[in-house]
Amino acid sequence: MMFGCCMANPEHIMGVVGSYPLLIALWLLPLLGAVLCWAFGPQLQRAAGWLATVIAFAAFACTLASWGAGTQSLNGALGADQPLVRWMPGFHLGLLLDPLSLLWACIITGVGALIHLYSIGYMEGDSAFARFFAYMNFFLFAMLTLVLSDNFVGLLIGWGLVGLASYFLIGFWFHKPSAVAAARKAFVINVAGDVGIMFAIFLIVQKTGSIGFGNAFAAADTYGPTLLLAICISLFIGAAAKSAQVPLHTWLPDAMEGPTPVSALIHAATMVTAGVYLIARCAPLWSHDGNAQLLVGTIGGVTALVGAVLGMVQWDIKRILAYSTMSQIGYMIMGVGVGAYEAGVAHFFTHAFFKAQLFLGSGLIIHALSNEQDVRRMGGLRKRLPFAFIAMLVGVLAICGIPGLSGSFSKDAVIQGALDHGHPWLYAVGIVTAGMTAYYMFRMLFVTFFGRYRGDVDPSELGIRHPEFAGTAAHGDADAHESHHAPAWLMNVPVAVLIVPSIFAGWLLYGGANSPWHRFFDPQFGAASILHVPVSEMVTTLVTLACVALGILIAYLRYGTATARDNAVERLRRETVGMWPILTNAFYIDVALDAIFVKTSEALGRLVSRVLDPHVVDGAVREAAITAQWSGALVRSLQTGLVRAYAVFLAVGIACFAAFYAFHGVH
Amino acid sequence: MATSFSGVPIFDYEALASVLFFIGLAGAIARRNPLVMLMSIELMFNAANLAFIVFSRAWLNNAGQIFAFLVITVAAAEAAIALAIVVVVFRSAQQVDVDDVRVLHG
Amino acid sequence: MLLALVLLPIIAGSVILLLRGEDRRLYRAIGVIVALATLFLAIEARSEDWSAPWLRAPFVANFHLGIGALAFWLIVLLALCTACAVLAVDSARPRALVGQLLLLEGTMLGLFISRDLLLFALFYDLMLVPVFFVLLERGEHPRDAWRYIIYNFAGGLLLLFATAAFGVLHGTTDVIGAVGTTISGAWAPWIFWGFAIAFLVKTPAFPLHTWMPNTYASLPPPVAAVVGAVQSKAGLYGLFVIGLTLMPQEIARYSTVLIVLGSISVLYGAVAALVQNDAKRVVAYSSLSHLGLIVIAIATQQPLALAGAALYIVAHGLFTAAVFIGLGYVEEREETRSLARLRGIGAKNPRLAGALTIGGLAMLGLPGLAGFVGELVIITGIVQSGNIAVAVIAVISVVLAAAYVLRLFQGIVNGPVAHDLPVRRDLTWREGIAVAPLLLALLYLGVNPHAVLASGSVPIPRAPLSSSAGVTTP
Repeated sequence: MMFGCCMANPEHIMGVVGSYPLLIALWLLPLLGAVLCWAFGPQLQRAAGWLATVIAFAAFACTLASWGAGTQSLNGALGADQPLVRWMPGFHLGLLLDPLSLLWACIITGVGALIHLYSIGYMEGDSAFARFFAYMNFFLFAMLTLVLSDNFVGLLIGWGLVGLASYFLIGFWFHKPSAVAAARKAFVINVAGDVGIMFAIFLIVQKTGSIGFGNAFAAADTYGPTLLLAICISLFIGAAAKSAQVPLHTWLPDAMEGPTPVSALIHAATMVTAGVYLIARCAPLWSHDGNAQLLVGTIGGVTALVGAVLGMVQWDIKRILAYSTMSQIGYMIMGVGVGAYEAGVAHFFTHAFFKAQLFLGSGLIIHALSNEQDVRRMGGLRKRLPFAFIAMLVGVLAICGIPGLSGSFSKDAVIQGALDHGHPWLYAVGIVTAGMTAYYMFRMLFVTFFGRYRGDVDPSELGIRHPEFAGTAAHGDADAHESHHAPAWLMNVPVAVLIVPSIFAGWLLYGGANSPWHRFFDPQFGAASILHVPVSEMVTTLVTLACVALGILIAYLRYGTATARDNAVERLRRETVGMWPILTNAFYIDVALDAIFVKTSEALGRLVSRVLDPHVVDGAVREAAITAQWSGALVRSLQTGLVRAYAVFLAVGIACFAAFYAFHGVH
Repeated sequence: MATSFSGVPIFDYEALASVLFFIGLAGAIARRNPLVMLMSIELMFNAANLAFIVFSRAWLNNAGQIFAFLVITVAAAEAAIALAIVVVVFRSAQQVDVDDVRVLHG
Repeated sequence: MLLALVLLPIIAGSVILLLRGEDRRLYRAIGVIVALATLFLAIEARSEDWSAPWLRAPFVANFHLGIGALAFWLIVLLALCTACAVLAVDSARPRALVGQLLLLEGTMLGLFISRDLLLFALFYDLMLVPVFFVLLERGEHPRDAWRYIIYNFAGGLLLLFATAAFGVLHGTTDVIGAVGTTISGAWAPWIFWGFAIAFLVKTPAFPLHTWMPNTYASLPPPVAAVVGAVQSKAGLYGLFVIGLTLMPQEIARYSTVLIVLGSISVLYGAVAALVQNDAKRVVAYSSLSHLGLIVIAIATQQPLALAGAALYIVAHGLFTAAVFIGLGYVEEREETRSLARLRGIGAKNPRLAGALTIGGLAMLGLPGLAGFVGELVIITGIVQSGNIAVAVIAVISVVLAAAYVLRLFQGIVNGPVAHDLPVRRDLTWREGIAVAPLLLALLYLGVNPHAVLASGSVPIPRAPLSSSAGVTTP
């Protein structure tokens, strides 16, 4: 296969020694920041935020500085690859920098640094300010561990640690029971995913005796179909849990309980795309297995569709974005699943910008409205928050795939890739989903920014039965929060900076096979990934665009026209009340998972600890004790205490002996 | 092997020993006075001694006579201990009916 | 030195028990100094070997002491746990607790450095005594003490019978650590099961575990820490140095039985831990689950699994001790262990919450901490030995572990502050130092597990030279 040239010979995987210290610095700087913020949080106070942000920017600088090392390795070397930790005989952990990990490291540190800056403003006045930044830096470290490892165990360590960081940050406001429950759910589902990867490691070690990527991929054609499929499915369980693929997606909407910058960084731009990274990283395995490709591509497509459908019926602005994230990751997984690696990875790249921007924009709104997240209680914010409106508008246009903006290039490349790799159904799903994306995004835009402000309307008039997101309930320290606002630029600058790549990042794909994108990834994926971009495939572009236009039109007719804006309160009430239960309950997937796994294991637990343990296992032991007691009582009754009775027993015993010898003789 | 001593057949000696033994046994089981029980036990010892000596003579083997001496000494020791117990019991319980002394019942 | 290693804590413990007065600082200081001294002595005496004759008939037995590879790490774990436990003692009557803890340490040290089966059996029974008295005096119910002693003494009796049978057949019991001695023949299965049942009671493994939740829940936290962390390893250590080296054929022959028992323990403990209301019982059942995994690893005799088992033995000891000590702090402050009532510690006592969280993360096998490495290497070994179904059970238990550990610690740490529970001060320096070494060791072994992993590579003689005499010493 085409990967033979890249990975078959371990000696080709040469270390780029010169950049190695830089790589280690890039990797460990955020850990240092986390430890400092955690240990000296009370002393640092506000400075903790700046410390963490400076460290994030420094890590970004290191990434850029090591750029050459990751791309110069044209002849298929994986980049820097040296054992760093001697884990046990035969198993070494090391770092590697190749185009794929370089891309991810850039996004993690770059977008991460901007979101750190934004957080200084957003988290201003929170009592656990320093703790927040310790967690954020720790997340950067964990995510870098994930993408920079040159072996499966390092990847799994990073995989678990990002789950931990996510757990801490979802449950950051831990006095809220809903946040605590969401954090636990996210963690447990992600551990299920970790276990999938663990299992893949077991199988790979059994076959190759090594945990390194190089050896595992070099042996890809020796695995045999069954083992390869088992490995791919195990890996995909991990990818699905982390990247919120159906049916393991249920934690992602709940994860919006975390602070908004967390949602932007972890649950939109970086961590949730780890599954995409994993499949792209293991491209040599997937390329050998058509069944695995079909499975992953299909699940990606289904997720894209389900996410879009559910996104159409949400009212919480962050949940709309969460389902949209799920749907977009579905696209990415579909892309890398069917084999269009460059397209799938490109969609990760553009999505990181515009989705982070959308989340940060929503954060501006939530911040300005004292933690209101329900779009029904917004409305007319265009004039009140013009900057947020522009930011959201650009993000929405980009995600919808309006030609020229970043999303159009990558999304159309994924859709086209599905067709090119022989999956017409996924192609159709991609196009339909694009239309639905346009609909729910413009719905959000119209309801939030147009019409009249509805924050002063009684929630019941809007059909809101439990106004749980209203007011201060959503935020930790709302009182402290209100008292001193950080300068607006802290939050506006990162959003403004993100607008640039949201618009232009897609142009890297311009030119298809001659694009900078393709040249960058050629050593990584070789000819396996055909990159077609919209301009060269006019049909795809036009059909998608037609669908998108239709979605926007429907959204406009329902929410955007002058009549709809004037009757917004009544409209929203009717829509809220009349919504189908199957949609408000998200197809009951959550309920089903709960019934199948949670309820069952709890029932088993109760069976064990209330019946089996006390009555069966311990019962057997107790029965033995009772038998001993009972036989003791029986024998004891012979011991009457009457001396004469003993004499009788003695006489009878002697008589018995005498009788025995009398009848049988002495010998 | 001799079949009679001093004109008395060996069977008669054995019959006497058996009768003595059963009288002793009956006394030990039926009587409630510990002193009488002790005398009954002595009776059984002596029945056994008689049997020992008779068979010793009959088989011309001195082991039986040696055993008889052993039984006499053991009986003496036993009588001493038993009388001591009887005295102690009498002191504490103020009665010597063995059926009333059953503190060791199970 | 070796003799001093055993006698120092025993003598110190006995002297403390004879003293009067209840000065907490004094007893804590003595206890910590003695525990650290044993650590130092153990490192110094690592390569020593000491022997004195004991029995010559009916078989040869010696007071033979020496420190094996796995035993060394267990001794380090034991000394560390004892020091931390003594430091964590906060009772109004600390004298008896510290004294019994030192006696416990001395007897277990004797167990770990015994090179003679009879001596091993002697210490195996002796180490039950301090725990029994603590249970009797400080436990929640005398019933727990009797249940503990009857179960474990029954196991000890089997161990003694098996040792005697071994000695009569082999002529000497001075065989621990002697490479190349294996037994086989008609008596071997009986001897093996004598040892195995004793060790499975002690570990414990299903279905011999019912003494354990009561014991752990009933013991004062510092003692529970040492018993849960180290004493439970006596059985596994026995399976390693007696089972694997003397009876590998028997383990291979009955590996299915052992693997099935281990697998049941793994799942049984995990689901039971999901629904316990008593915080200490959650840890107790999780122990059943975790140690079942080690039983499986030993039963497979796969080198990777054994290396992982050695590491996991140490890691499990570290996090169990940390978690028990941490839960002890919670119980002292909140005066309850009921998960239905505990919540919101994070807002009241952030340092305590941090310690509990790290301990919990180690317990659920967070990548980067020692428990993870142990689990990963063990299950890799299980897959290598071909038991895919067992590996599936093991990884299911990993997911369940995440669920019950989060239920335990998130329930205690997070949530709104419980207003019906008292508010007490956060961790003091002393209390912090009592858990910090355990947590740091977990982190260190998670990053650098090499040395402990290597101690699990028991040189396993594969085939006996003859089977007529039943015993072979090449």
